[in-house]
Amino acid sequence: MFSKGIVLAFLLLLTVPFSAFSQDLTVSGSVMDQQGGPLPGVSILIEGTSTGVITDIDGNYSLNAPGTSVLVFNFLGFESQKVSVDNRSTINVVLRESFMSLDEVVVVGYGSMRRTDVTGSMVSVSSDAIEKSVPTSIDQVLQGRAAGVQVQQNSGAPGSSSSIRIRGVNSINATNEPIFVIDGVVIDGNSGSSSNNPLASINPSDILTMDVLKDASATAIYGSRGANGVILITTKRGEKGMARVTYDGYMGYQEIPTRLDLMDLRQYAEHKNERAEANIVNDDSFFIDPSILGKGTDWQDALYQRAFMQSHNLSVSGGSEKSTYALGLGYLDQEGIAIGSGFERITLRGNFDSQVKDWLKAGVNFSLSNTNQVLSIGSDNANNDTMIKTAMKQTPNVSVRNAEGTFDGPDDNMYVQTNPVGLASIRENDRERLGIRSGIFLEATLLKGLTLKTELSSDFNMNNEYRFTPSYRFGALSNDVIQSERVKTYSKYWSWNNVLNYTRTLNEVHSVNAMLGQEMQESQWEYLYGYRSGFLNNAAHDLNAGDGTTSQANGNSGQHAMMSYFGRIFYSYDDRYMLTTTLRHDGSSNFSEDNRWGWFPSAAVAWRISNESFLRDNLIVSNLRLRAGWGKVGNQNVPSYAYTSVMSSVTTVWGTGQLAGNTANPALQWETTQSSNLGLDVSLFQNRVEFIADVYHKKTDNLLLRLPLPAYMGSQGQGATTPPWANVGSLENKGIELTLNTVNVDRGGFQWRSNLVFSLNRNKVVELDTETSTLDVTVQEGSEVTPVTRTVVGKPIGQFYGYKVIGRFNKGTDFYYKDANGQVKEVARPEGIGIAESGVWIGDYIFEDVNGDGVINDSDRTFIGNPEPKFTFGIGNSFAYKGFDLSVQLGGSFGNDVINYQRRWLENPRENHNLLVSARDYARLGVVDANGPENDYRNLEVVGGADDMYRLSASSSNANNRMSNRYVEDGSYLRIQNISLGYNLPRRWVEQIGMENAKIYANLQNVYTWTKYSGYDPEVGAHQQNALLSGVDNARYPSPRIYTLGLNLTF
Amino acid sequence: MKRNNYIKALGLSLVLAIGISGCNDDFLDSTPNDQITLENYFQNNAELQAATAPLYSKVWFDFNDKFYYALGDGRGNNLFAPYSDYIYPFTNFTETSLTGPMVSAWAAFYNVVGQSNNTINNIRNFAVNVTEDQKNLAIAEARFMRGVAYWYLASLWGDVILIEDNAAMVNNPIVPTNPRNDVFEFAIRDLEFAAKHLPETTGQSGRLTSWSAYGMLSRVYLSYAGLHGNSDPNSGTRSAEYLELAKKAALKVAEESGLELNEDYAALFTLEGNNDPEHLFTLNWVGGSTEYGITNTQQAYFAWNSEITGDDAAWGYYTYASWDVIRTYEAADQERLHATFATNGAFYPELRKEDGGYTYEETDRCNVKKGVVGSSKDTDGVVQRMNSGATTKMLRLAEVYLNLAEAILGNSASTSDAVALEYFNKVRTRAGMPTKSEISYSDLHYERRVELAMEGQYWYDLVRRAYYKQQEVINYLNNQERAVQYEFENGQYVAGDANTAQQVATATESMLLLPYPEGELVQNPLLRQDPVPYVFNEERINLFE
Repeated sequence: MFSKGIVLAFLLLLTVPFSAFSQDLTVSGSVMDQQGGPLPGVSILIEGTSTGVITDIDGNYSLNAPGTSVLVFNFLGFESQKVSVDNRSTINVVLRESFMSLDEVVVVGYGSMRRTDVTGSMVSVSSDAIEKSVPTSIDQVLQGRAAGVQVQQNSGAPGSSSSIRIRGVNSINATNEPIFVIDGVVIDGNSGSSSNNPLASINPSDILTMDVLKDASATAIYGSRGANGVILITTKRGEKGMARVTYDGYMGYQEIPTRLDLMDLRQYAEHKNERAEANIVNDDSFFIDPSILGKGTDWQDALYQRAFMQSHNLSVSGGSEKSTYALGLGYLDQEGIAIGSGFERITLRGNFDSQVKDWLKAGVNFSLSNTNQVLSIGSDNANNDTMIKTAMKQTPNVSVRNAEGTFDGPDDNMYVQTNPVGLASIRENDRERLGIRSGIFLEATLLKGLTLKTELSSDFNMNNEYRFTPSYRFGALSNDVIQSERVKTYSKYWSWNNVLNYTRTLNEVHSVNAMLGQEMQESQWEYLYGYRSGFLNNAAHDLNAGDGTTSQANGNSGQHAMMSYFGRIFYSYDDRYMLTTTLRHDGSSNFSEDNRWGWFPSAAVAWRISNESFLRDNLIVSNLRLRAGWGKVGNQNVPSYAYTSVMSSVTTVWGTGQLAGNTANPALQWETTQSSNLGLDVSLFQNRVEFIADVYHKKTDNLLLRLPLPAYMGSQGQGATTPPWANVGSLENKGIELTLNTVNVDRGGFQWRSNLVFSLNRNKVVELDTETSTLDVTVQEGSEVTPVTRTVVGKPIGQFYGYKVIGRFNKGTDFYYKDANGQVKEVARPEGIGIAESGVWIGDYIFEDVNGDGVINDSDRTFIGNPEPKFTFGIGNSFAYKGFDLSVQLGGSFGNDVINYQRRWLENPRENHNLLVSARDYARLGVVDANGPENDYRNLEVVGGADDMYRLSASSSNANNRMSNRYVEDGSYLRIQNISLGYNLPRRWVEQIGMENAKIYANLQNVYTWTKYSGYDPEVGAHQQNALLSGVDNARYPSPRIYTLGLNLTF
Repeated sequence: MKRNNYIKALGLSLVLAIGISGCNDDFLDSTPNDQITLENYFQNNAELQAATAPLYSKVWFDFNDKFYYALGDGRGNNLFAPYSDYIYPFTNFTETSLTGPMVSAWAAFYNVVGQSNNTINNIRNFAVNVTEDQKNLAIAEARFMRGVAYWYLASLWGDVILIEDNAAMVNNPIVPTNPRNDVFEFAIRDLEFAAKHLPETTGQSGRLTSWSAYGMLSRVYLSYAGLHGNSDPNSGTRSAEYLELAKKAALKVAEESGLELNEDYAALFTLEGNNDPEHLFTLNWVGGSTEYGITNTQQAYFAWNSEITGDDAAWGYYTYASWDVIRTYEAADQERLHATFATNGAFYPELRKEDGGYTYEETDRCNVKKGVVGSSKDTDGVVQRMNSGATTKMLRLAEVYLNLAEAILGNSASTSDAVALEYFNKVRTRAGMPTKSEISYSDLHYERRVELAMEGQYWYDLVRRAYYKQQEVINYLNNQERAVQYEFENGQYVAGDANTAQQVATATESMLLLPYPEGELVQNPLLRQDPVPYVFNEERINLFE
């Protein structure tokens, strides 16, 4: 196709000399796209003048122009075209869709820039990506589409959160989430919980673009909050022209993609009989003959359902020369694939921009969202009692419902599971959220090129949580105490910023943009809690129906304020050499007066080699640019008042008591990240091939951490003094990001485009100023508290930590080995445990004696896995032909480990609850000599079962299921994230019913996953959004597979 | 565009910018509304009292929740729980440095120490508008708590770290341990200070009195008598000096306090008996509440079914009396047995009141009764889910009487001392048991075990004995028939098979102490090294001049 371009350019060159002698004539014609559809709103300008027109709804135009002039056709998303009039009166033009627009404007924080001027590292995701998937929350859109941005859903439950890591894990305190700036309002992506997603209140279909600022030279303009990256979200605004009404909606259903292979009734009965033989349980008279039993209850079937989903969005936008507007209404209803979960959202939004005076622009935007999340499947509150885990463990001999149709349960009440379907169905756990975000701005042009913009934004949020535990009787399990809890939280944020902006081009080569701004922000939040029990029945759930003497109430509040000054200077020489410098000065109420203020500078340069004379007219290289940047940003995410001493209230029998609440650290200050970035942007063949590469190095110092003081400092458990927050060390991330966008075929109306993103990050702890430079994070299961990850200097953070299984005692001689001197020694056994059937025995695991002291104890734990992937990638392909378009998005991760934590119980053959079928492959023992003793280990050997399973034993002295590398699995996967197929109905059909465009589409989400991981889903995310608990799968809610069918209409 | 418009705008923005800059720090200053800052506290005596009140509950929560009985009774083999991983590691000597309740208890003792230190130091540094006596009284309460916590720490772990100022240690928390004897002496100094400054009576029932301190001193002196000046754990003799101190402290309570045993043993463990005068030190939990941290959760771990508690928190089905303790009860000791363990046919009118009471009918075990008080309905709402509202018994007058008898017995094989007999027999008479005219160690051993069963004491009795008769105690521990099941047959309990769910390890000398928690060892390698003598900067108070 570029041969045509050459011809055109050649023609243009020829025509220029003759343009001097000409007369005006009326030129008319039509502008079409490549499919032959009319293009309304195309601007046509006579070159070198400001005279021009715009095409009407049918794509027609007419204007007076000199016969020798050149017309320039411009339309957003299309390549501009120049056509010389040549004294013709009819000129019809076909505009070609542009592949990548270099003149695209992107938002960079307190301003915008041409993409080609951006010197920092950033990536944009447009509404196209949103349309081609079924995101219910904006964080999901970024998955696999932006290099350097790793998105993992922490839970598959509707409305739940994701872990977003921009260029790796930056901080060891809980928050590694970037900040989101939605039309100027900062929203923290951190909620500290898997089920609660602050971004879920934003309707993805309201989004125009998401611009992700990755390196510090780009985020430094956000200063003390830019360390984890910044995601700028621009919502759709109106455009000049006729009002446009759009409806977009889909309906579909979701299902669980995979199942665990759990025992059915017959298998369970056989296994229980074997356990009874091994003296673990008493004989069960119901299981005398397992062969007559059926399948029993499949609790996965009972808990998971085919869930309905629908979304409807209606928007109106338009505008006149001076004013534009956009209005939108959205509705989403997503049932969960597990009973007792779901998400519903209503959003309303509108914006209005107007040129009120020739020197003054004003605008307002407003958005309201109301969401309701059903969480009765489980909760992050109190005991994290997710019914997902219960359904895995509930035994197949328990029925879901009894003959009368009410929920059933186990026959006795010791060491049994509850009815997860019953409990998820009858208890109430809803979270309703109402959010109102709004902003107004005034922008005055003071001088040519000098503007002053003042913007006031606010964000109000109200949260209502409803929790009700009814009385019930599930078989032998009963609850008589009816309880109700109500939680109200209210938060208020406002910010006001004033930005002076100056743009000037001197002598056509010196282009300057200078920005100077000031901002103040304040947020406040309140929490109110109420409780009553003693309800007489389950009918009324509100507190006033309960017993007043059981009332409990609680409440607290907090606030945060920030004051900032910032500036940016951008200078470009001849569109070849560019320099951006920024500086921000932030003051935060989170720190004491002496440490309150910090400076955050950055600088970046770019060299646009393709604009040098030697490449300027190169037909192959259309853009070649080198970028280099450095910057320093902060993280101030600590609770308020960490720097001062506070008391904490304790209810006592003698009234309110006071204990010291914390250990203050007045010296507390920002965590700072310095990052350097080198980038290369290449576009070839008129942008048919675009390649972006970035290499970065980040170093975070003064890591914020709540000091892991030893417990003897009075720092752990109830009544403890919370340890001080301190700045304790440094962390390093380095990596490579590659993006390749190509147009592979563009011929005969058929187009095939690909995009590929590749991210590689290596994380390392450089320094930890805790005394022993070690940080352990534990997972509690029942009363067992197990360290699962350890963070030490010299390794990536959050390494899996435990024992190493190096074999199994298969025969008597395995208990001994010969050392280097030929002396026979005992293979290390757990401390104090002898060779005995109730101790260590044939069929038990051999653990590695890491320190070589001859016994297995806590000091023999070691690093057994790394949750950090070697690399992650995304591959997208899209095809368009006539009215059809098809896109396939793949994503994956390679080389990361996942702990399949539930396998510790589900594969332990001695456990009482239901198990994985694989647990039945436990090591079977047999005698070596049939005439020999049966209880002498020297006459026993393993004769059956899986090679990697341990024996079934009455005693758990060897603790075969202790946290070990047996439960660490390869978490690599390749997933077809999404397939979407759309068809645009032919324009001549839709025009007849007065429509501009009509499209039907089908979407498949989470289509298929190739992985070796044996749990539900290798994409695990971070538990409680805690970066030190990444990749720990402890009955995570599985992500659904989604099938939808949708319709998009434009009037 | 009119020039003066933008001049106006520019002017306005400059004014704003200057105005804003001027109030920078005011804007960024904020004070909490939901918490009191330290500078605003300790302004009067009421605030001092409010600062000591939580030392009676929340700071002990993680100790009380499981460790109190799991170790105190479990390790001494009063209790058997083959499926409860919060108990059996202690009973079976298989605990590790990661065993949950042990880790929690270690942290809880040090929370008691830390918060007592904070209270003591904050009162010294910040308290205004209060008299010196008021200050000393509040400090005495905190020092009592700290002393008791250190007695536990010394008894359980031996060498531990002594801390007097937590805030000063934050920047250098890695310090060596101090020897066990120093820990005892530290605890004794705290308790002697408390005995001197606490009042004889208080307005608030449940608060400490000087009798609490003397009573506790009688226990601690008695323990330390086995260590003081004794380098051989099998020497068989105790320090006469400390036996004398134990006797004096106990006598002080017995003769001067005016307190008497409650006539009804069982009444002590009802909600009405929560702060009966016989209780010298109790942990005071908030009845009617479900707020974690201020509740007594023990009933939830003892109750053998939901009928007892009226809610789903009833996890005690397999937590029951060991065979060893059941066979120990003398036939006549029904009153104490009935109040401590439920046996077949036992009737409890206070449970299931709506059914007219509750009859225990299990035949293969005897569940724990002490600590079980009923459901919310049985107790007018005092009981809530995971909260019995009962106080935790830390020290009773009866124990002080037994301490007195033991101190008088001293290094003799037996005694017929009139004072010893008087108070020893008071305990027996109250329980409906015949009096004795001569007391040997085994009489005292029986009496202590049965009288204080399920009050978290028995293991400490054995530890105290092991200070001077170590081998005897180790032999005793290995002959306790741990993990033996039993059955109610023909009106009596008979031994059955061993329960094989868990292996019971052989008790050795090292099992007389617990391992330091794993997390502590990782953070402070000095814990593995030899202890460093503590430098005392305070003169001992002589209470008995």
